[in-house]
Amino acid sequence: MAEKNKQHQEKSHEEHLREEHLMLDPLPRGQMNDMVMESMNTTSWKFWVVFAILSVIVAVYLFYDWAVLIIEGQGVAGVMRPDYWGIFLVNTVFWIGISHAGTFISAILRVFKAEFRRPFTRAAELMTTFGLVQAGFSVFMHMGRVWIAYWLFPYPNQRMLWPNLHSPLTWDLLAITTYLLSSTMYLFLPLIPDLAMARDRSTGWRKSFYKTLALGFRGTEGEWTHLRNAMNIFAFAIIPVMFSVHTIVSWDFAAATRPGWNSTIFGPYFVVGALHSGMGAVIMVLAIVRGTMKHMKYFIRPEHFEAIGKLMLIISMTWAYFFFNDYMVQWYGGDKWTRQLLHFHEAGPLGWMWFAMLVFNVVIPWSVLWNRKWRSTPWIVFIVGLLINVGMWFERYIIIPVSVTINRMPFTWRLYEPGIEVPMGIGTLAFFILLYMAASRLIPLVPVWEVQEGQMAHAIKKFGRETVVTVSDLE
Amino acid sequence: MSEQFSRRDFLKLAGVGAATTAILTGCGPASRYVKREPYMQMPEYNYNGQSTYYATTCRECAAGCGLIVRTVQGRAIKTEGNANNPLNLGKTCARGQATLHGLYNPDRVTDPIKRSSRGGDSTQTMDWDAALQVVAEALKNNKPEEIAFLMGMAPDHLFDLVTDLAKATGMNSPVRFGALGMFEARATLSKAVENLFGGPGLPFFDIGGAQVVFSFGANFLETWLSPVSYTRGFAGLREALTKQRGKFVQFESRMSQTGGKADEWVPLRPGTEALVALAIGKLASEIRGGAMPRAFADVNPLDVASKSGIKLETLEHLAGMFANSTGALAIPGGAALGQTNGLAVAEAVLALNALSNNFGKPGGVYLSALAPNQTEHQRPASTQEMREFIQKMFDGKIKVLFVHGVNPLFELPTSLEFGGASKTVSQIISFATFPDETAREADYIFPDHHGLESWGYQRVATGSAQPVLSGAQPVVSPYYNTRATADVLIAAAQLAGGKFADALPFKDEVEFLQSKVSSLMNEADGSISGPDLPTFMAYFQQHGGFWKLSDGRGVPNAADVLNRNLSAGEAEFAGEGEFYFVPFVSPTLAEAGANKPWLQELPDPTTTVMWNTWVEINPETARELGLEDDDVVSIISEAGELEVPVYRYPAIRPDTIAIPFGQGHTAYGRYATSMDENGNVIARGVNPADLLGQHYNEAGDLAFAGMKVKIKKTGRKQPLSRLESIMGVYGVGLGEEH
Amino acid sequence: MTTDYKISEMKMSEEQTGKWGMVIDQDICTGCQACVAACAMENNVTFVGEVDSGYGRSMHWIRIERFWEGEYPEVKMTSNQPMLCQQCGHATCEPVCPAFATVHSQAEQLNLQVYNRCVGTRYCANNCPYQVRAFNWRDYQRPEPLPNQFNPDVTVRRKGVMEKCTFCIQRIHKAQDKAKSEGREVVDGEFTTACAQACPANAITFGRVDDPKSLVSQMARAHGHGVKHLEELGTLPNVTYLKGG
Repeated sequence: MAEKNKQHQEKSHEEHLREEHLMLDPLPRGQMNDMVMESMNTTSWKFWVVFAILSVIVAVYLFYDWAVLIIEGQGVAGVMRPDYWGIFLVNTVFWIGISHAGTFISAILRVFKAEFRRPFTRAAELMTTFGLVQAGFSVFMHMGRVWIAYWLFPYPNQRMLWPNLHSPLTWDLLAITTYLLSSTMYLFLPLIPDLAMARDRSTGWRKSFYKTLALGFRGTEGEWTHLRNAMNIFAFAIIPVMFSVHTIVSWDFAAATRPGWNSTIFGPYFVVGALHSGMGAVIMVLAIVRGTMKHMKYFIRPEHFEAIGKLMLIISMTWAYFFFNDYMVQWYGGDKWTRQLLHFHEAGPLGWMWFAMLVFNVVIPWSVLWNRKWRSTPWIVFIVGLLINVGMWFERYIIIPVSVTINRMPFTWRLYEPGIEVPMGIGTLAFFILLYMAASRLIPLVPVWEVQEGQMAHAIKKFGRETVVTVSDLE
Repeated sequence: MSEQFSRRDFLKLAGVGAATTAILTGCGPASRYVKREPYMQMPEYNYNGQSTYYATTCRECAAGCGLIVRTVQGRAIKTEGNANNPLNLGKTCARGQATLHGLYNPDRVTDPIKRSSRGGDSTQTMDWDAALQVVAEALKNNKPEEIAFLMGMAPDHLFDLVTDLAKATGMNSPVRFGALGMFEARATLSKAVENLFGGPGLPFFDIGGAQVVFSFGANFLETWLSPVSYTRGFAGLREALTKQRGKFVQFESRMSQTGGKADEWVPLRPGTEALVALAIGKLASEIRGGAMPRAFADVNPLDVASKSGIKLETLEHLAGMFANSTGALAIPGGAALGQTNGLAVAEAVLALNALSNNFGKPGGVYLSALAPNQTEHQRPASTQEMREFIQKMFDGKIKVLFVHGVNPLFELPTSLEFGGASKTVSQIISFATFPDETAREADYIFPDHHGLESWGYQRVATGSAQPVLSGAQPVVSPYYNTRATADVLIAAAQLAGGKFADALPFKDEVEFLQSKVSSLMNEADGSISGPDLPTFMAYFQQHGGFWKLSDGRGVPNAADVLNRNLSAGEAEFAGEGEFYFVPFVSPTLAEAGANKPWLQELPDPTTTVMWNTWVEINPETARELGLEDDDVVSIISEAGELEVPVYRYPAIRPDTIAIPFGQGHTAYGRYATSMDENGNVIARGVNPADLLGQHYNEAGDLAFAGMKVKIKKTGRKQPLSRLESIMGVYGVGLGEEH
Repeated sequence: MTTDYKISEMKMSEEQTGKWGMVIDQDICTGCQACVAACAMENNVTFVGEVDSGYGRSMHWIRIERFWEGEYPEVKMTSNQPMLCQQCGHATCEPVCPAFATVHSQAEQLNLQVYNRCVGTRYCANNCPYQVRAFNWRDYQRPEPLPNQFNPDVTVRRKGVMEKCTFCIQRIHKAQDKAKSEGREVVDGEFTTACAQACPANAITFGRVDDPKSLVSQMARAHGHGVKHLEELGTLPNVTYLKGG
């Protein structure tokens, strides 16, 4: 009995491992490819309803309102003296922050060979690209004369006029452009084998679509070698780009003479903040994808939420440390305007936002994510991720319009009342979701080859009676 | 008038080449108007970027500051002060700067208009021949004593023309009125001077030369008499390079812009100004020693301290300051005179000057110089005289009323019922440049040119040591189909014939003007002189007027000022409310600035509010009444009721409230009025004249500050546009300190 | 050697505080707003209406600040403080403009705003510690015939462009051209800015601060209580305030 029981237990332990870990639960390649293809090709009426609603929101809130903004001028927004910068730039920073998760997950975790990354690197990278698109939109909305925005780019012209390389905004533009280009490349490279897979399994317009994008990839050893080399180079190269982008974004503020902005800690503080919101966003996307798309419960499992949850907890702690650091050093400095500003943050009319930021960014993640069971539950981490994103949006709101209310000229202090920025911000959110929905039906959301590669490397072996998980290094 | 010569033709005639000189002579009658050309068609004398400058006179108030107007291609671009004019020495106030927004105001009356029904919108454009016929018939077909002219405080040449006409034909003498005159209480000042010094006149206070200035309500940095000149005087008081920096104390219940500059601001209870002045006189006399002057003998400083709410120590300290200074000066003015005992206040404060014996001395009190072609002191009608005038209208004694340069429906207290009286007048003809409230109630509007399109002169009533006659000439050709009122009257008089034609035997306005200034041609003491009239007139225009080179101020005969018995009663206050009511003239808008958009956009110097009216309430009072900023309250006086948003003003007595005068127009163009949701024209702000009752001081000036009012909450809010930050200046909304 | 030369050049730029400057005597400024109106008329500054002006969007190039000290009855209005572009020697607005719309004039030592070049990022305004820049939030309407008043020497700005006090650079140029054509130097006091010209109290003095004999330099020295605003930021402002009393 005992023997039998033990055998049963052994078996169930193995099953348990398979159930828990995607890498130990291999499926035949053909079947897995079909699953991915099916998830991509299945659209329910609900999908189209949401898609249509979002399209309308994008058309009205984003593009129509933008036309109004261009025709009427920035006066339809809430900006004024002293809040020359408003929600448009809050959203810019917010979307750049969101975009950080993609690179972080796919590049850093790839470099460090974190195996849990495999099924969702693409989902995260898509966020990078689409988030940057929204950031770009937001920054262009902010400009008073967007129709001559190209003057910010160093293009050859007769008058030898160049953008001002002293300006943090120029650095910003260069950094974001670099990041957008490199992250798009980095999204595309690992996509090639999957596009080739899709090409071989589709017909009609999709066939020609994938055929074009797959660049004739056939999966020869030489092609794989080149691809791996390229991906390796990009994975390493994009990490400093990622760090620099948000550091440079932070310099827009840190290099200014505003009280509350002139802080040397802003660089890492912003990067960590970006990761904080980015990881929150990734976990939300994964929860939605898992819940709505076919076969995704196979690819995205509680183990992934658990792993990301752990990361979120650590990032939340780091963020709290940097927040404290920034606050403490500024408070300790004792500059009268900065002290006034810190007081205004907590006790001013938007003090509730300051406290909400701390609750959403620190208190809730710390009290929820320490529990393995809770952080493995998709809906719980979804809510935590949502709150973190709200909290991080609040943080940017506090840094920009709330902080610029207080300056060295008390005669000009004034509270910011948002105008058309709010619908337009909702428009960028809708556009982000819309792009993501479209992408989820056009390209394989799960990098099949990466999952298969991982599954090949993992195995459950038995040494005597012991069940042991082995990993072999393929590369 | 008939021919329009372009400047180009004139220059050809004059043989002047390319115009590179900075100031061109304003020209004789031959080239009355400058032609406006599009920028694309530049005449050859006009280089790109070269301007032509003309000297003229500011018509935004009656002070008569000289202007130099920069024009380019016949467009007036910028007004500057005329540096030669002794009154303003090259300076202007904000209203003088914004006069161009009157010239180019989009809501001017563009043509002669006949109105189908008074107050109605339906109008009919006329041509000027018909208009002249209307005026001629009004003159001819009515008895002269049934024709009346109501005129503003500027311009003087038109007033002289009408006066001459009235004298020759037996018409009523023109009545002049202006809200500024009312709020300055000019009649009171003049009467006090007469009582104390033996003859009427306007006092002149040499602030610049003084060491200590005590001002009892005089808002001399704002709109009072001649603000540009008094501001220069104030700068002289503060000048610390060559002499000791002068001290300035202001006595008033609500801190005015002037009071804001004071070293000490003394918020006394309204109505006790005379007592305080006498008490300071008594205490100062005690410090000085010697016999107690009779003027101050009867007053009991302790009693005054309790009545006025000023501590006795403060009174003693101020008296010491006054007594120990070698150049102390006391000025009465503003709301202190607009009370039932206003005359007593003026006399008591003027008498204080006798203590420092500064009459006719630098840093002291003078009698203002009479203008060069002026023989006796003139002053506008007091409000009581206006009441008599309106009574005459009610009695049906006036059949035709001509209105020029004044907007009585807006400027007079509503309780005087000018509107009701005007219904009894069979014909009202307005010469308004802008479609103001009175013009709306007129049967005809025969629009006058804007001041910058006009000829004329203005006698400088006060503010300059030298007698000054500021001259005006058109700096641009008229934009619209308007016509100078003087020309209209001259032409209509010719049409009417008879004694009218005889009274005004002139070809046009310019000829009349020349007849008026020709006597100055050979004055030995004059700033300009000429061998013949055309030369003299050319200089007159070029220099912006005529002034004498010597000091023309009079020395008050103050022999027995201190030996008089000065009555020192407290003012009486009408109405049952618990708050003293202080209306004051908006320093930036004054009485006629509301239609100029940039004046509307100028922040009020004390509250920084733009584009609207507010009521100033002490924050402590507001807290007791449960009022916040921007809460709309109802102010109820015995004469009327107004709804106005609250400004919690830290420098006003808790028992006093104040409302600026200047807004509240129901007509007067798009910038002076506002629009409701349905696109109907409504008033912008409120007019405190609606609250004023009928109480006068002994000189006949309105006791506009002699009322008590009630405050009622309405529960509504109306945000005021402020330039200042409520957070930064008042700490509102920054969070509690801990 | 070259290095030495560069260091000395840097030192010079540190010491040289500018060319044109202003002294504002706060003790005699009465807050009458004549300078504000004069500036608006000279420089085609637009008005924005009741709602926008109450929401911090007024376009004043110069504004008069005043605060309160104490509580009733010991309340005092602080000296009026006209606040305009300080034409900093080391302006914080200049380096941050990505489009070179906010540049330093080498010839006049002024902070220029090139309207044509401005793309409207508003970074300069954000970074100006004096908060004296005005942004064209809309195309504010000036109905006919108000545009006839426009000064042809000054560009009319449209929406999306930053603007600010220029020290009436059109007047500077005009005076210099005139002096040049007459073969001489510009004389101190030969011309002045619109605000200084209008000021009834003569509280504003404008002139060459690099000339120790000019009136503005003498004023700044003589009173002994000249203050430069936010000097601690190292902006080298060219406007000196005389705090009176």
